[in-house]
Amino acid sequence: MTNDVEYGRYPVARLAVPEWMLKVERLGRVYGPYDDTVIASTGPEIGSSKSAVNGAVVAAWDVSFEVAAGEALGLVGESGSGKTTVLRCLAGDVAPSCGEARLRTTEGDVSMFDLDSSARRRLRIDTLAVVYQDPAEGLKMNISAGGNIAEPLTAAGWRNFGKIRDRASELLTRTEVPINRMDDLVRSFSGGMKQRVQIAKALANSPSVVLFDEPTTGLDASVAAGVLDLIRSLLEEHRIAAIVVSHDFSVIEMLTSRCLVMQHGRVVENALTDQLLEDPHHPYTQRLVAAARA
Amino acid sequence: MRREPVLDVRRLNKSFVLHAVSDRTVVAFADINFTLSAGEHVALAGMSGAGKSSLLKSIYRTYRPDSGEVWLQIHAGEYVDMCSLTDAEVAAIRGHEIGYVSQFLRSEPRRGALEIVARSARQRGMTDHDAREAAAAALHRVGIEERLWDVYASVLSGGEKQRVNLAAGTVHPPRLLLLDEPLSALDPENRERALTLIASLTHRGVAVVSIFHDLEAIQRLASRVLVLEKGRLVAERSPDELDERLTSAAR
Ligand SMILES: Nc1ncnc2c1ncn2[C@@H]1O[C@H](COP(=O)(O)OP(=O)(O)OP(=O)(O)O)[C@@H](O)[C@H]1O
Ligand SMILES: Nc1ncnc2c1ncn2[C@@H]1O[C@H](COP(=O)(O)OP(=O)(O)OP(=O)(O)O)[C@@H](O)[C@H]1O
Ligand SMILES: [Mg+2]
Ligand SMILES: [Mg+2]
Repeated sequence: MTNDVEYGRYPVARLAVPEWMLKVERLGRVYGPYDDTVIASTGPEIGSSKSAVNGAVVAAWDVSFEVAAGEALGLVGESGSGKTTVLRCLAGDVAPSCGEARLRTTEGDVSMFDLDSSARRRLRIDTLAVVYQDPAEGLKMNISAGGNIAEPLTAAGWRNFGKIRDRASELLTRTEVPINRMDDLVRSFSGGMKQRVQIAKALANSPSVVLFDEPTTGLDASVAAGVLDLIRSLLEEHRIAAIVVSHDFSVIEMLTSRCLVMQHGRVVENALTDQLLEDPHHPYTQRLVAAARA
Repeated sequence: MRREPVLDVRRLNKSFVLHAVSDRTVVAFADINFTLSAGEHVALAGMSGAGKSSLLKSIYRTYRPDSGEVWLQIHAGEYVDMCSLTDAEVAAIRGHEIGYVSQFLRSEPRRGALEIVARSARQRGMTDHDAREAAAAALHRVGIEERLWDVYASVLSGGEKQRVNLAAGTVHPPRLLLLDEPLSALDPENRERALTLIASLTHRGVAVVSIFHDLEAIQRLASRVLVLEKGRLVAERSPDELDERLTSAAR
């Protein structure tokens, strides 16, 4: 960012800050018909994301943020606040009602919401990956671990069987899945192991953006800890731009440096993660932090 | 000629609005002004609750001040105002220029001491290899034995954690070092080591703002003492004329 104002008597330094990899502007998703009145009838002040005017659900509204390569952005908020909606709009699973999302690629900036469905699919294959809370969403249960990982590789044009197997075993090794389980059906895996396979699959084509939706929710504490450690070290190793959705502040604290707090479909606060934890401003953030600290 | 300051804190204010307690406002400190040059060590003194820790955290921007400016020199002759930077800029400046050592190790689950300190060195711009070497040296300096380097830091003793913290904050001399009771859990031998380390950093040009709960540390290390009372800067003293009652040991 450039800073050309000169305050007081000090010459102001120009700082080199990594540029965004993903930039989201005024993203919104409404279930049901809406106009300004409907939007105004929802949100934190009203205390609901469901409109009393016509019953429409404003699942997410006016959500804007940037994420740089090598940075993980947190998205926290209680159940129903709109976190998954934001992620699914970016993943292409849900169509946004409005807003823009731009992705920086080697071929220039791409307006994600303007892409046709085949270009969208391509993007999901080689640039933007998602790790879902439920492994059944990211994996095919009746296919082997190796077969699941081969899928994005073949979609990206890999043809050589040996090379695909090598890449799959490399990824499974990295995500600490025993190689001798490579040919077992994913359905036979434990929850933590499924999640590791899902992460291995997400990384198959070295994506520049990875979206994590509650990646450890529902796992036993010790298993969740192992998966979290894996995600943390992967984020440190690769210069991925990541978004981590969680209602659990300890996950957010461990993985992210910046964070958005959502309530009733709106972003109510946005700050560095340590600021949110130690000096939360919004009443809702204060409640969330107090609950997490209790 | 007066040297250009490394840190210039101007009209800094910080209060908290506690929404859970009928929006009560707690003033941490108000209208704080001071400057600090390279190689200078200023200690903050005052009773418990005077606002010392809040002031350090506001400079580091873990707390977001209500108003005021915190000018930090980042390279020769050029400054940034920590209060007007974006979050990403604050994150970048912190890693690079400021060492913050608190009384407690910031809970980093399932990480070993060497990894924690090496990570801090990498943020200062070192390569992986250099960072590990610098981390090993930093841990030796604070007397953390090799057998503890890959043990999860969360299981270390209070004094060991404090020393890991100190190693992380000083692994590469920062421009500005913020110390919040960094010696409170140390035995005499380790305390001595830490005092020597801090003194040597000041000697090498690091600017230090510190909080110590004992007079002896202040008198050995600090060149000036700022006295806070109920969030106000009420006096500036030389360390020798400091009164026992003004250190937080009085609580
Ligand atoms: N297909 C749909 N039709 C109608 N409403 C929906 C639909 N999908 C989601 N919603 C609503 O949108 C709101 C936001 O849901 P979302 O799943 O984004 O919340 P979340 O923050 O991820 O919650 P959780 O922590 O429980 O996963 C909720 O009120 C939800 O009921
Ligand atoms: N995160 C916070 N939220 C709310 N109030 C806070 C917060 N941090 C500090 N305060 C309040 O600000 C005031 C100053 O506290 P601070 O911790 O800065 O004092 P201190 O001088 O460091 O005291 P001590 O010597 O006991 O550590 C106190 O009234 C304290 O309760
Ligand atoms: Mg969700
Ligand atoms: Mg304190």
